[in-house]
Amino acid sequence: MIARAGGATPFKPPAAARESIQGHYAGFASRFAAFVADVVVLTGIFLLGLAAFNFAVRILTRESVHFDRSNIGVLIAYFAWVFIYFALFWGLNGRTAGGALFGLQVLTDDGDDVSGRRAIVRTVVFPLSFLILGLGFLGILLGDRRRALHDVIAATVVVYSWDARAARLRYLSYSSSPGTRPPGLTPHQPAHLSPQVEEGGQFPGDDMVPPRGQSGPSG
Amino acid sequence: MDPLARLRAVRGRLAPQMEATAQVIAERVITLVIDAVDLNAILARIDLNAVLRQVNIEEPIDRIQINEVLARVDLNAALEQVDLNAVLRRVDIEEPIDRVDLNGLLDRVDVNQIVQQIDLNEVIVKVDLDAVLNRIDMNAIAQRIDVEALVEHTDLGAVIARSSSGIASGLFDAIRSRTVGVDEAIARWVARLRRRPYTGPPGPPAKLRAAAGS
Repeated sequence: MIARAGGATPFKPPAAARESIQGHYAGFASRFAAFVADVVVLTGIFLLGLAAFNFAVRILTRESVHFDRSNIGVLIAYFAWVFIYFALFWGLNGRTAGGALFGLQVLTDDGDDVSGRRAIVRTVVFPLSFLILGLGFLGILLGDRRRALHDVIAATVVVYSWDARAARLRYLSYSSSPGTRPPGLTPHQPAHLSPQVEEGGQFPGDDMVPPRGQSGPSG
Repeated sequence: MDPLARLRAVRGRLAPQMEATAQVIAERVITLVIDAVDLNAILARIDLNAVLRQVNIEEPIDRIQINEVLARVDLNAALEQVDLNAVLRRVDIEEPIDRVDLNGLLDRVDVNQIVQQIDLNEVIVKVDLDAVLNRIDMNAIAQRIDVEALVEHTDLGAVIARSSSGIASGLFDAIRSRTVGVDEAIARWVARLRRRPYTGPPGPPAKLRAAAGS
């Protein structure tokens, strides 16, 4: 290994930023952001599907179909699609598109993969957390394992599936090789990687092995 | 005639023969005694540690010109003749070492000269590297490495940057770390309201923890 010339700047890495949060229970903001991303994605796909359906009907019958919110058939189709979307992705690998974007994964409460049956149960009871005025989500803020009501019923947990330590090393590698720095990562935001880690001190389980199936940035 | 003169004459003639006879007898007796004595047994009964305790080690050491002595010694030949393990087993090394001013001693030693006399290749050939490596806790060594400094100040960082899918992974990292930052800010705020200490995100689930420990 060749020492980099000119690297005379004293280096003092924030000690706690070396820790990984992989496998730890995910917090409210990440879960909410992932849910919003999922809603955007699944709604976008649904609208594309409606447009494709409309296009196909127009070609076949030369008549246009107009959809609106009062159309009960569209609502039923939408909620069926929502059910399929969440149940399918949670059952496949515990990740929806939003979960993958924000590095979240659904596991059983003891850390195993979620089975298809449990994914269906979770999807069915998911609306309960909304229907009781959102109180079902209080468990994420107050519970020791950050579980919402639907998590408790389905015996599942949501964990961070990305490695904050690896992300920090990637950031440092960009810093040491400026030509490769991706947009959005500026020299003025060294603390953007897990700022809570830098402030929060020690994390338990920093030697956590990756949950199954996750390795890349989309994990 | 002096009666004693005769005796003196006799003594003058006999004395050399008697001395020669005595010398022969003495040599024979000493040889017999030495043959009869088991020196190893005697040495085994000597408490070397007690002897060492009585010796003022500093004094002879001060009088020795160590460099001159070492220059005249064929260390390799000497070391080959010594069963160091047998000697060391009998000696309480700690005690004499405690009494020696090693710093003062080492100041007087020309280490370069000693090293030049030693055939390091031969020494290394005798070393069982596997046994040495087995005794090393590589994990403990790895934990002492400042990986962040390594990545930032060496070409390893450039290698990682080139090998990772830069833009996508960078954006994902930024998005995730910001939301985790909000997670932790909320968690600390809630903990403060509940007047409980906050030590970081809880977890992980039992099986993940067990897998990490195995």
